[in-house]
Amino acid sequence: MLFHQPGSGTDFRLFGSVGPGNWPPVTLRSIHLSTVSNSMTLSSPAKRPILHRTVLGNGLTVLVIENAVADIVSARLLIKAGTGREARSQAGLFSLLASLLTKGTTHRSSMDIAEQVESVGASVGTDASVDYSLISLKTVTADFETILALVAEIARDPSFPEAEFDLERYLTLQSLRSMKEQPFTLAFNALRAAMYGDHPYGLPGIGTEASVANLTPDDLRQAHQAFFRPDNCIMVVSGRIQPEAAIALAEHYLGDWAAPETAIPAPSYPPVPTTATHAVIPQSTNQSILILGYPTPAVHDPAYAALKLLSTYLGNGLSSRLFVELREKRGLAYDVSAFYPTRLSHSQFVAHMGTAPENQAIALQGLRHEIERLGQEPLTKDDLEATKNKLLGQYALGKQTNAQLGQLLGWYEVLGLGVEFDQVFQDTIRAITADQALAVANRYFRDPFTVVLGPELATG
Amino acid sequence: MITTTLTFPGTVHRLENGLTVVHQHMPATPVVVADVWVNAGAAQEPQDWMGMAHFLEHMVFKGTERLLPGMFDHTIETQGGFSNAATSHDYAHFYMAVAADALPTTLPHLADLVLHAAIPADEFVRERQVVLEEIRQAHDDPDWVGFQALSEQVFPDHAYGRPVLGTAEILAQRSPEEMRSFHQRHYQPDNMTVVIAGGIPLEPTLDLVRQAFRAFPTPPTSPPAATPGKIESWWGVRRQVLRIPRLEHARLTMAWMGPGIDDLDAACGMDILSTLLAEGRSARLVRELREERQWVLDINSSFSLQRDCSLFTLQAWLAPEVVDAVEALICERLSTLAVQTVPLAELERAQRLLVNDFAFSTETPGQLAGLYGYYSVVAAAADSYSYPHRIRAHTPASIARLVNTYLSTNAYASTVLLPTT
Repeated sequence: MLFHQPGSGTDFRLFGSVGPGNWPPVTLRSIHLSTVSNSMTLSSPAKRPILHRTVLGNGLTVLVIENAVADIVSARLLIKAGTGREARSQAGLFSLLASLLTKGTTHRSSMDIAEQVESVGASVGTDASVDYSLISLKTVTADFETILALVAEIARDPSFPEAEFDLERYLTLQSLRSMKEQPFTLAFNALRAAMYGDHPYGLPGIGTEASVANLTPDDLRQAHQAFFRPDNCIMVVSGRIQPEAAIALAEHYLGDWAAPETAIPAPSYPPVPTTATHAVIPQSTNQSILILGYPTPAVHDPAYAALKLLSTYLGNGLSSRLFVELREKRGLAYDVSAFYPTRLSHSQFVAHMGTAPENQAIALQGLRHEIERLGQEPLTKDDLEATKNKLLGQYALGKQTNAQLGQLLGWYEVLGLGVEFDQVFQDTIRAITADQALAVANRYFRDPFTVVLGPELATG
Repeated sequence: MITTTLTFPGTVHRLENGLTVVHQHMPATPVVVADVWVNAGAAQEPQDWMGMAHFLEHMVFKGTERLLPGMFDHTIETQGGFSNAATSHDYAHFYMAVAADALPTTLPHLADLVLHAAIPADEFVRERQVVLEEIRQAHDDPDWVGFQALSEQVFPDHAYGRPVLGTAEILAQRSPEEMRSFHQRHYQPDNMTVVIAGGIPLEPTLDLVRQAFRAFPTPPTSPPAATPGKIESWWGVRRQVLRIPRLEHARLTMAWMGPGIDDLDAACGMDILSTLLAEGRSARLVRELREERQWVLDINSSFSLQRDCSLFTLQAWLAPEVVDAVEALICERLSTLAVQTVPLAELERAQRLLVNDFAFSTETPGQLAGLYGYYSVVAAAADSYSYPHRIRAHTPASIARLVNTYLSTNAYASTVLLPTT
């Protein structure tokens, strides 16, 4: 488009580009690298649209959020299985599966699918995350049924053509190489590997060169058969559509999708390393990248909300503690922040910054000090209240579009928390006391895993 | 496709002091976005002040006589809002999103920051360190390095060819006094647009803006003159090859200068061309180069409208060995496009994609404020909504004319990034 706004890109645009920015150059006051966080700061409008939830006969959960403001319907099918379900030798399986979904069904070729989507100016995207896989679509209201029908076909009857498989696997291997160009990604991959050991969360979502090279179309077929079934999926429809109409369409295109008799086995996760490690990665970069990670619990843990609060206090926004202390007061960084992703299994609390190589020692010390201080001194009453307002306000701002709200509620279903968690979470945040936050910080912010990436001379 | 003709749903007002206000009431949202656009980007800098506009954007948040550094961010964020700012060649802009009922208490602060930046000397020195970190980080990004090199190649004698971030050497020589004079000269009402979009009606908005945006800085007596330089077209292929450390894949970027803001119809047509060539799997170059021949890992195209000159680019990620072949093939396909008109169905597909993309990009107050502000800087806010209409008006013949006029295979620039060996 004639107008390029940073960060305004449509959410899962199907055939997206691998590269960032274009001309004209725009620099932001602050840009966070936390796309890896998959954080919950997606959020909801204040005039709450009405939510309908129903479960079809075959076990498919359907959520409908009616919001007539724009002539747009967005829908997503979340599948409760992601890279966290992969054996180590098959890392990258779900990511490759996701990219093959739009590349052929029993009735259509890759180009047929692309032409059908693009000829009506819709977007269809697929993605694999750690705890779920996703097919999403966005259309103007008039085209919704056509594209929903296509998405249903993609979800139910992908054909995994050999030639398309070879192409996508090749492109995945090339993407793995691209990751090495990005200092932050390289450092973060090292941190994740150290913190998770044999746990499937320890590898990049797209796998490793060795695992991807070994994948076959049959592996994809088996994973599809095992997990893409109606009783393992959530369909979320949001936008200018009546709930009855949306449910009727879901019934029509997905109602006769049969669930196998056998239950899906519960996931089992190996234990994660408990002894912190410290890695130094020599790279001839201009900036050093510092990342710390503290092992922290999953979304079902009682400490979850307090950790979200601490993460907001420390690392979210221009008034956050890390930003103010390390950037505004000391000029040590342009980019400094923290995140605590929502996970079904073990999570991690990550803080990171980029700094001049000669500053990396004091910067690392400063990061640790600010984080671990919270286990010694309670937040003041003002800080606690301010942080709650900030977290809840940004949570609400992140639910502005149909797609954002649909994604959030669908994700809560995936996590087994249900749509009511939207409210429960906010109530829990409001109720946190300074003592609770102190106890959680004291328990978890002790001995971080660290990764320092930068020029060799300075990393000695 | 949306078939009704869209009319600009906002309103544009010129206040007594010359300030432009753009407003759109969105009753269904509880959020308001205020976005202040200033015609004071890097193109307004004297050449030896390169980086000043961007550095000033950082310093605006360092307080005023009434606001201590950090107070604004704290106030906005503890009310659940957020703020940010950005600088490009044509503009700097400062924005915040807040709950609608918080606008009366927060807009005066945003205005105070933008109009009365104190630029304290100690903060100037400290914040310069932050900008230097930003420069270091940019230099570790090969795509930033590549686009910077391309910009220099296309605009060797114009500010568009210079980095918005400036350089460490030049920033080291600048002073708070110089920055204040840049600020006083450019942050004037006739040089500024305030966009307010969201859950607030027009009347209270205008009152709030009038109250908040007064007492502009006194213009300096000997203001520093901008030296944007000149833009000249060229004949022949300007080609450069850069060796980049730590690079895994080569990049090929090709660029052409496009129509200006005086010809928005043609500019919209360039968007159509960009879509035809590289938006989506069924687009010509994606289909042939990525899906069929498998010569590139990805290819995309973009068309960017700027005040003094627009730019059309094609960019591919690929193996070093095929760079020349891909460049030759792209030239061949562009030559074909110049002589064979595009099939109607293909044109309609591109038009539909762009018109829908426009609809998808005008959903939230933040998107609208950005859109209106950007158009206000390069053209006029109301022009933004002529976009779908202009896109739909194109025909195979008008597209062929654009290819002939603008996408010559005998006159373009290309930048190739290769790994160091």
